[in-house]
Amino acid sequence: MRWSGTAIRWIVACLMMGLLATIAASPARAQSSTDPNPGAVTLTAAIDFTNAYFFRGIPQDDTGVIMWPTGDLGFALFSGKGAVRSIGINVGMWNSLHTGSAGSDGPSGKLWYESDFYTTVGFGLAKGTTAGVTYTAYTSPNGSFNTVKEISFKVAVDDGGALGKFAVKPYMLLAHELDGQADGGAHEGTYLELGVGPGYSRSKFTVTVPIKVGLSLSDYYEGATGDDTFGFLSVAGIAAVPITRAATRFGSWNIHGGVEFLMLGERNEAVFGESSHVIGSIGIGLSY
Amino acid sequence: MFSMSGVRKNALALATTCTMILASTPAWAQDKPSTDPNPGALTITGSVDFLNQYMFRGIRQNSTGFATWPAVDLGIAAYSGKGGLKSVGVNFGTWNSLHSGDTGADGPSGKIWYESDFYASLGLGFGGGTSLTTTYTAYTSPNSSYTTVKEIMFKFALDDSSRFGKAAVKPYLIVAQEFDTDVARGQADGGAEAGTYMEIGVAPGYSFSKASLGFPVKVGLSLSNYYENPETGNDEKFGFFSIAGIVTVPIGGTTSFGAWNIHGGVEYQALGDTTKFFNGGESNQVIGSFGIGFSY
Repeated sequence: MRWSGTAIRWIVACLMMGLLATIAASPARAQSSTDPNPGAVTLTAAIDFTNAYFFRGIPQDDTGVIMWPTGDLGFALFSGKGAVRSIGINVGMWNSLHTGSAGSDGPSGKLWYESDFYTTVGFGLAKGTTAGVTYTAYTSPNGSFNTVKEISFKVAVDDGGALGKFAVKPYMLLAHELDGQADGGAHEGTYLELGVGPGYSRSKFTVTVPIKVGLSLSDYYEGATGDDTFGFLSVAGIAAVPITRAATRFGSWNIHGGVEFLMLGERNEAVFGESSHVIGSIGIGLSY
Repeated sequence: MFSMSGVRKNALALATTCTMILASTPAWAQDKPSTDPNPGALTITGSVDFLNQYMFRGIRQNSTGFATWPAVDLGIAAYSGKGGLKSVGVNFGTWNSLHSGDTGADGPSGKIWYESDFYASLGLGFGGGTSLTTTYTAYTSPNSSYTTVKEIMFKFALDDSSRFGKAAVKPYLIVAQEFDTDVARGQADGGAEAGTYMEIGVAPGYSFSKASLGFPVKVGLSLSNYYENPETGNDEKFGFFSIAGIVTVPIGGTTSFGAWNIHGGVEYQALGDTTKFFNGGESNQVIGSFGIGFSY
């Protein structure tokens, strides 16, 4: 008997649907508010499906179907009431599987376009402020690009305590390439991202409207005319619907989806051929 | 500037730091062995192992350098009951092999990531300690050392410890079938036909307060075209015989970070004709390993 890739994908899809049915059908006692995981280790995972993949505005693929399976393990090392409220380490993996020209229909014939590994040390500070340092290795199992190693720093403020419904949750991300380059240019780049993530929560759904702008501080968007400072502007709307009302012994699962509008800078427009693009996505998420 | 050896050193330092943090977890976290940090239905296990040699079912995968095996598994306890079917579990996981030698960083690709496997298992637990597990695995090679091998595997196991106590041997039987193959594509032996593999083994072990010992013994056989000899084209029935000794030492008991351990062992493999060919003409192999494991 010969099994095709399509058959395998159907088997995986059926397995996922079976799992979701199991979770949704968990007995009432399992859906009580009892925390299934009171320990110091947290698992989050998701699989998303999208029609296009731009990495910080840099076009990667807009053909076929793109799948993003991810997993993250968080370790809560410390929590207290001083200036440093919490310390955590996260280790995770993010992947991009492509059926189109960057994947199984491309020169390599291989689906697995990207696999990223990261380690983050995060600090929770007063007034909802967090700071994190992340090392990431962006690798390409199907050989589409050379490995990019990066260190990034992120500062975020959860202003929900001060502004309530009007919180915008601003953040700043500064990333520096150590080896390899996202733009395939001549020099390692330094990237700056500024963003906000206002949202609105109800018992049956959550809506967030992330807005962000990506900038090159140095050689991050190298093009024919040199380094382009403006990389992209993104505005998105994302809705997440919990599958169960409360955390079950299988954790908290959700279905989420959204639409993102992306406006590209000159360098990325020159690569992509258009100045903007609309991206749709849908996925399943797990938090445990 | 980061070199790969630097990254490995950093990863090792991070793992060591984590281990030290866990070992030095406050007393309140360690004094509650009866408090399960994770009473839910999901179980996470992970490990990183270091070996001098990687043999896949007797088939040598590297001849120089060392191999590093990071792995993680998510187990979902979907059902438990008292009828004929005692439990149903689903597992997803990834297993990886990073090579410093000729099939990795020092090889033609220059890339360390030799192997990445993805699997999904459906396990059924029955009465009398018996279990049947069906696993789909895709064995991929990110540094393109081989073509992806897809396999469906059935494992029947018996946990006879309730009957024999310390004398339990925990026998098991594995049958695995490669599929979606072509000549020299999608096969562990790089042969002409898809192979069918059988493994018979036992896993006796002894637990003490501060350590546990395991003595797995197994034999790997080709039921059909699993060990095709590149020289003769013949399928060799006998692939390998393995006997090992493994010591596992828990670190700090079960804490809010789960249960961690350090483990190490030595394995001896006696090879068949085909696997001897893949092993450069040597008929046996000794493998040393040590690592850190985690269960939550």
